[in-house]
Amino acid sequence: MERAIMGSRILASVIPVSLAILGVLIANLPVSFLGGIVPAPLLGLMPIYFWCLVRPDLMPPFWAFAVGILEDMLSGGPAGVWTLSFVVTYALVDRQRDAFAGLSGLGAILGFATAAAVACASAYWVEALYYWRLPPLAPVMGELAMSVVFYVPAAMFLGLVHRRLVGPLRSDF
Amino acid sequence: MANGTWTNRRARGNYQLPLAVVFVLAIIIVLLGKAQTTLFDRARAHVTDWMAPGLEVVHRPFDWVSGLWHDLGDAFSVHQDNLRLKEENARLRQWQTYAVTLQARVKRYQLLLHAVPDPALSSVLAHVIGRARRPFLETMILDAGKANGVKPGQAVIDTRGMIGRIFLAGEHTAWVILLSDLNSRIPVIIEPGHAQAILSGDNANAPALETLAQGAVVHEGDQVVSSGDGGILPPGLPIGTVIAAASGFRVALLADPAASQDVEIVDFKTPIEMPPAPTAKDLPVAAAGLPPAAPPPAAAGNQAAAPVPTLPQKPVAKPAAEPAQPPPSDTPSDDQ
Repeated sequence: MERAIMGSRILASVIPVSLAILGVLIANLPVSFLGGIVPAPLLGLMPIYFWCLVRPDLMPPFWAFAVGILEDMLSGGPAGVWTLSFVVTYALVDRQRDAFAGLSGLGAILGFATAAAVACASAYWVEALYYWRLPPLAPVMGELAMSVVFYVPAAMFLGLVHRRLVGPLRSDF
Repeated sequence: MANGTWTNRRARGNYQLPLAVVFVLAIIIVLLGKAQTTLFDRARAHVTDWMAPGLEVVHRPFDWVSGLWHDLGDAFSVHQDNLRLKEENARLRQWQTYAVTLQARVKRYQLLLHAVPDPALSSVLAHVIGRARRPFLETMILDAGKANGVKPGQAVIDTRGMIGRIFLAGEHTAWVILLSDLNSRIPVIIEPGHAQAILSGDNANAPALETLAQGAVVHEGDQVVSSGDGGILPPGLPIGTVIAAASGFRVALLADPAASQDVEIVDFKTPIEMPPAPTAKDLPVAAAGLPPAAPPPAAAGNQAAAPVPTLPQKPVAKPAAEPAQPPPSDTPSDDQ
């Protein structure tokens, strides 16, 4: 019985980060949808934001850091850009958790939009410092817009996973 | 939405210290990536090599759908395309005749002038197994790597023109930085004015022309080719056409990276292939039936005081012993 509880706890703790890794893999699939007109959303950031709010013990800062490294590795950009931006976003959400967690409906989407905007702005400025010139703003804005649009179905999916899988596997839920 | 439906009664750890640690680690990674780019690139190349078979499988249905989409579009314009191609074919035949004539003439001039030939370009054919358009990077992934002789810096072209250059080569895969990418800078020449410039990508579809030489005159519709400056890219690779934009001149690229399925990776560093040494009948004096001019007699005693300037060592043709042959009938005359 003890072992079963222990196993289910481990499984529950692995699901959030697994979904974040899966999100990074899907977002960075080098397949151009619609001829590359539409940029890929930040799918890796969504589980980080979601579980940082509802169960921060399942998404500690280290996982945000690790998912950022994977994003950097697969996106092909300079090293550390998304790692740093994910960590900065995590820090913001962690400090303002009560404010973000109290949001619902459209407010929840705006909450994620704020977090995604912080992530994109961080990445933009790190990139600017990296090459010492301002990159064009439009692609980053496109990625931000797509991330916010995709967060609506993603939040429903993550909520479902949390209720059906993560919650029942944790006795303290 | 999910956020408001749960009460926030979870156990919260104090993440101040872990956050500070990962923040410092992230900054170290940024600095390390700036100082030691190869370290991160090597890891990235290994990951891509490992993912290559999966990428090919994933990419295949997209290729199929893309091809089907194009075929469907073409089906509606078969008649117009046929008429256009017939007209284009007739025009290209005229150009072919003209090109063959000019090629023969250029070859003759090169032989006469002992011109250094253009380097022979060998290439590797590769299939596109992935392409991505991220905010800070526009790239494609090819299924050829170091095992096929691919090296960073090599130019990547398709049937229409240059697409970009290799910036990361794994064992069996390579990443291409597209000409439109934010980090792409290549030296180009704008013809016919022979103006030199830098083609600078900014993630727009048409990269910008920067650092134009002073006094350079550029017109809309001029052709842009690689200049070969720096010895990284071969000169003369077709790139695009100059178009006017609000902020200056830009280049409409000939190649379409979004549609290219198979590309060539041009190896510019192969040994230069020397042309055959000119024979006596290739020289105009011999061809005209005249004896070659004798070298000027050296004045005895003043050689040390006034050395005769010498030309660099070139293969010199022997004087013709037999009567000179008339030029071959297929050689064009100058008035052609």
